[in-house]
Amino acid sequence: MIAGNGAAAWGARLARVEIIPNFPITPQTAIIEEIASWIASGEMDADFLPMESEHSVQSALAAASSAGTRVFSATSSQGLLLMTEMMFVTSGLRLPVIMVNVSRGLSAPITLWSDHNDVLVQRDSGWLQIFCSNNQEVLDSVVMGYKIAENNDVLLPMMINLDGFTLSATREPVDIPGQDEIDGFLPEYNPKHTILDPKEPMSMGGAVFDEYMYFRSQQRMAMQNSKGVIKDVCAEWEKITGRNYGLVESYCSDDSARVLVICGSESAILKYTVDKLRAKGEKVGMLRLRAMRPFPCEEIIDALSRVEEIGVIDQDISPGSGGIIATEVKACLGRGVTSFIAGLGGRRIGAEKYEKIFGRLGRDVEEWIF
Amino acid sequence: MKDPYLKKLTDIPMEDYLVGGHVACQGCSASLGLRLALKVLGKDTVVINGSGCMTLLPVYPTTPLRVPWIHLAIENTGAAGTALYYALRRKNVNANILCYAGDGATYDIGLQSLSGAAEKNIDMIYICYNNQSFGNTGHQRASSTPRASYTPTTPVGKAEAAKDMPAIMAAHRIPYIATACPSYPIDFLNKVTRAAEVKGMAYIDLLVPCPVGWGFDPSEGIDIGRLAVKTGIWKLYEIVDGRVNLTYIPKKRRKVSEYLRAQGRFSHLSERDIEEVQAEVDREWDELEARGYAYDIVV
Repeated sequence: MIAGNGAAAWGARLARVEIIPNFPITPQTAIIEEIASWIASGEMDADFLPMESEHSVQSALAAASSAGTRVFSATSSQGLLLMTEMMFVTSGLRLPVIMVNVSRGLSAPITLWSDHNDVLVQRDSGWLQIFCSNNQEVLDSVVMGYKIAENNDVLLPMMINLDGFTLSATREPVDIPGQDEIDGFLPEYNPKHTILDPKEPMSMGGAVFDEYMYFRSQQRMAMQNSKGVIKDVCAEWEKITGRNYGLVESYCSDDSARVLVICGSESAILKYTVDKLRAKGEKVGMLRLRAMRPFPCEEIIDALSRVEEIGVIDQDISPGSGGIIATEVKACLGRGVTSFIAGLGGRRIGAEKYEKIFGRLGRDVEEWIF
Repeated sequence: MKDPYLKKLTDIPMEDYLVGGHVACQGCSASLGLRLALKVLGKDTVVINGSGCMTLLPVYPTTPLRVPWIHLAIENTGAAGTALYYALRRKNVNANILCYAGDGATYDIGLQSLSGAAEKNIDMIYICYNNQSFGNTGHQRASSTPRASYTPTTPVGKAEAAKDMPAIMAAHRIPYIATACPSYPIDFLNKVTRAAEVKGMAYIDLLVPCPVGWGFDPSEGIDIGRLAVKTGIWKLYEIVDGRVNLTYIPKKRRKVSEYLRAQGRFSHLSERDIEEVQAEVDREWDELEARGYAYDIVV
């Protein structure tokens, strides 16, 4: 039984990360505390670097990764926003950094509780983004993350999101694979494109003129490549652990007339609601987006093209536009969806509200569920 | 063992790790400072640059650098250096870590990150190439800009004096701190050698006269630097174990007007303004003389 934060720390430990720059922020802090204790006890061989801000954490991740070490960190909310400038540098330099974000609503007003606006602010930063639905998935995603990010056809950083408190502080049964098993799955990181070694001098982070667009197109290509790599790595993981992941998780959506699209740990309560309604004969289902970047458009079309009524739950809001995920799902499907803004700042949704929401689909509107 | 310290100009190593053909301005003392520093640090050096003028040295697909170089952003040179120290150690790479960042990136936006590295006493050399302004964006005011200097953002002259950055570093109790100027290459390079020798963090504040920002002919940069020192406006010193020691004492100080009148950024000063600067500099040097040109800054 471990909490989501412990699962994240275990993922980093099993991946044999070497450098962990860090800065405390609720609700992430237990991750770095756990790692600090393992390093202190000798259970983990890594350098723990307490930095002076999250901006410095992201800078340290980029610098240490540039020298060819495997790096890890975790953050939340305001901390993730403070990293923003460096998020683009890390992805632009094509550094396979893995960072966990424990999502938390953004200030002001200041809140401790979870929603997805922090992650989605970084949507365009060139990082792969994975949303986890339970603690097992957190551990699995961190380990798989290195294999995906370090693939030569990808070489992009990845952010793995778990919902603050709902997952981060909740203990669940988690299978911790053996170190031998992981060592067989994840080889040592040996980069060819970034070496800060006097034996082979190269200049990194230099200026460009017209070539800028070329580099951006390469980054976009890498993001496209990552879809196939994620699927391959997930398939390999399934062989070892029996646990199956992909870009999306479809739950009873094949024969459904009504489907709700959702991200993260709320999917557990939504699944419970789906089961309850299906027991009453209602043709309802759920589609969980596990990957936000790359955006799994083909998978969404496959899952939803025959569905009559689609709703999207957004635990985020882009004021002046709407639910961010709803906007993207609409663009992907080329048809209207009912957009529900819910659970901001950790506001409880609950099965009874999901039941009501299923009854309010079929309208191309935005509705706030308080 | 060969004496690592230089005595005369011809002792300076011939090898270059910053080579010609780059796009720094004519008469740029910042690129000269880096070229000189790399001569004594040698090929086993990794350079971390904070955004500024020097960031334009490598322009894709070319680079004038024969040592590894990384630039990430403006405000994180100290943090990047910290991480690199640990990463290179893990990779068994034995190299000097040279942070080379401007004064805006050091005194202002990067102070937090630099302070973090200093508090941890990371074994690296941090050279602040100090052109006393945000040079690369057009020489706007920084906290390193001297009082009365014109900048595009202080059109009537800066009201405040420059921050005492070496004293701030001294308060972090790092083992080696110095000021320098490329116009005095032997003094500067022996300080770089000492900075590389000490275990822990070394900070060198390098005054780099900037022809474009300060308003003088590109051929005059070395002379302007000499005047800054000979007038007593820029003092050359080291701080070791909290004790300041001057490394150069002008025998007879030149008048500050010679330095100030040679630069466009001070052209608005009246005779009376210049007299005030002279009086202030005289006061400082009288005090230094009384203390025997050495004093404790951290007790």
